[in-house]
Amino acid sequence: MTTFTDAATSFIALQPDADARTRAWASFEDLGLPTTTDEVWRYAPLSEFVLDRFAPSAPRPARADSAMVEGLAAHAGLVVRVVDGVVASTSAALDGVSVTVEATRRDESLAARYADDAFAQLNAALAPATITVRVARGAHVTRPVVIVHRTDARSSFPRTLVTLEEGADATVVEYYEGGDDALVVPISEYQVGENAVLRLVTYQRLAPSAWHVARSTGVVARDGRLLQAVVGLGGYYDRSRNDAVLEGAGSHNELRTTFLGAGRQVHDFRTHQLHLAPHSSSLLLSKGAVADESRSIYTGLIEIEHGARRTDARQTNHNLLLSPHAHADSVPNLDIRENDVRCAHASSVGPLDELQRWYLESRGVTPADAQRLMIRGFYNEMLVALPAQLAELVERDVTSELESVTAVAS
Amino acid sequence: MSSQLVIEGLHVEVGGVLVLKGLDLSMRSGEVHVIMGPNGSGKSTLAHALAGRPGYRVVSGTVTLDGVDLLGLTPTERARAGLLLALQQPLEVPGVRPYDLLVAAGADPSGLRERMIDEARRVELAPDVLDRFVNVDLSGGERKRAEMVQVGVLRPRFAVLDEIDSGLDVDALGAVARRLSAAADEWGCGILAITHFRRLLGELVPTRIHVVSDGRVVATGGPELAEVLERDGYEPFRASATEAS
Repeated sequence: MTTFTDAATSFIALQPDADARTRAWASFEDLGLPTTTDEVWRYAPLSEFVLDRFAPSAPRPARADSAMVEGLAAHAGLVVRVVDGVVASTSAALDGVSVTVEATRRDESLAARYADDAFAQLNAALAPATITVRVARGAHVTRPVVIVHRTDARSSFPRTLVTLEEGADATVVEYYEGGDDALVVPISEYQVGENAVLRLVTYQRLAPSAWHVARSTGVVARDGRLLQAVVGLGGYYDRSRNDAVLEGAGSHNELRTTFLGAGRQVHDFRTHQLHLAPHSSSLLLSKGAVADESRSIYTGLIEIEHGARRTDARQTNHNLLLSPHAHADSVPNLDIRENDVRCAHASSVGPLDELQRWYLESRGVTPADAQRLMIRGFYNEMLVALPAQLAELVERDVTSELESVTAVAS
Repeated sequence: MSSQLVIEGLHVEVGGVLVLKGLDLSMRSGEVHVIMGPNGSGKSTLAHALAGRPGYRVVSGTVTLDGVDLLGLTPTERARAGLLLALQQPLEVPGVRPYDLLVAAGADPSGLRERMIDEARRVELAPDVLDRFVNVDLSGGERKRAEMVQVGVLRPRFAVLDEIDSGLDVDALGAVARRLSAAADEWGCGILAITHFRRLLGELVPTRIHVVSDGRVVATGGPELAEVLERDGYEPFRASATEAS
């Protein structure tokens, strides 16, 4: 059997930028895999994580588009299909949008940003390419750019860079599926230019056996807006860290993260809103439900630098417990080095509201339907904020997933 | 078909305190019964106990709807048996739309949207309120009217209306009262309306008025009883309650 290290070393040796990749691999080895004694990995089932299980093996048969991909494609202005981090196809051109694959580019600033993150170093060493979507200055792109990431191999390391130039306005969807018994480690970066608006939906629908360790960073320039939704349904271990750097005055970030846990799934959501500039604002809403024996972790940090006057930052996290064996942890944090700011956070963990349930039942709704309605309602609050073309599609998908989960829960 | 709701010797405890102490009341479909009484007399407790609200423990007594023991049924089953409670403070259910609630409650989906809009108009509720999540960000008066939409669509055999007039201005109260009167005619809905105030009675003519004091019905009469209450207040009825015990 090929070990992960053997496979990685052979892959790196064949790349034109082997030197830089070798450095990233070395730093991965130096850092080592995290352990649960590390606070930020405390809740991950790392004792079950065996890297060699994810060593690239013979190619597995590719699969046809799922119904969800077809649905997304039907609404898209442009579809980029990526398999195991490699662009497989790009649909017809879309005005104002360019999609390029930068095979040999290695961003040193990226390496520095993720210096202490072993999985990010793995991505730096092993990502086949950086898929770059650039929206031209002033371009208003009405139909979404959809990037479909499928994992067929035992591991994949997708890397995406989305850049909106000044005054651009676009919707980008990153959709993840596949990943049976696989390790999927995506890194995405978003650069939102001055006065630009990026609506971003990250939708993770990997196989229930997948390990998903994702990280994204958005950097927002003056008066730019990054409106981001992250939905995590799949994976055995689903880790999603989403950071935003509010670099320009008046920049704005909205982040809505949603997850649904079933079986023995673990959803591990982490956020970091870093306010560097005055009059910047962030609005964060994280809502998720855990059923069966699943568990979730939400950890969010709002950090406000000295000088980021008149910053307005809000962080809300609600967790719904659908089974007595499910568990949710919520850890909001504030780190503020400026006086003239408004900052608020709230969090809750608990079962469905008993009185709301009774209210529905007292109209003649069955207990099972009342539960279904309320759980759907819990998500609807998030889904109504999605871009209009996608809200219905995602709502239908989440609802069908809920049907199977709540059938077990009720 | 004529139906009958019979409450006998109902004792109900809330938070360890006995609030209803042997309440008796009987009514038939198509009738309008009004319950009046001072604060704390147990009017709302009766409404919630009938609908099986958590925390309302029936200690003894019976409630039957056409001979069926309602107290042995779950809240869902009670509603499906034909009893619907419109709350004084209808609860917010975030993320749930009124249409979906009504379908789940058993309303026929065909033409439902139109029936909802029609019912909203009848109680002067802006139809766009029906697109919002159930009771979320609605004023007190809008919530009351939204409850009437549910009554109109679900057409229960008996509608229990807790503090029906609170939060409604005179015009809105008139519209709600007219809707309820019509319900009694349209499908023989029995109306059990709890109120503090006589002003409801202008548009909703009661078959019977019951005065509740200290957890029991202490007087029952025709519409003329409202005038006595108007003139003398509840004091004389409190006294009779004390004498009776």
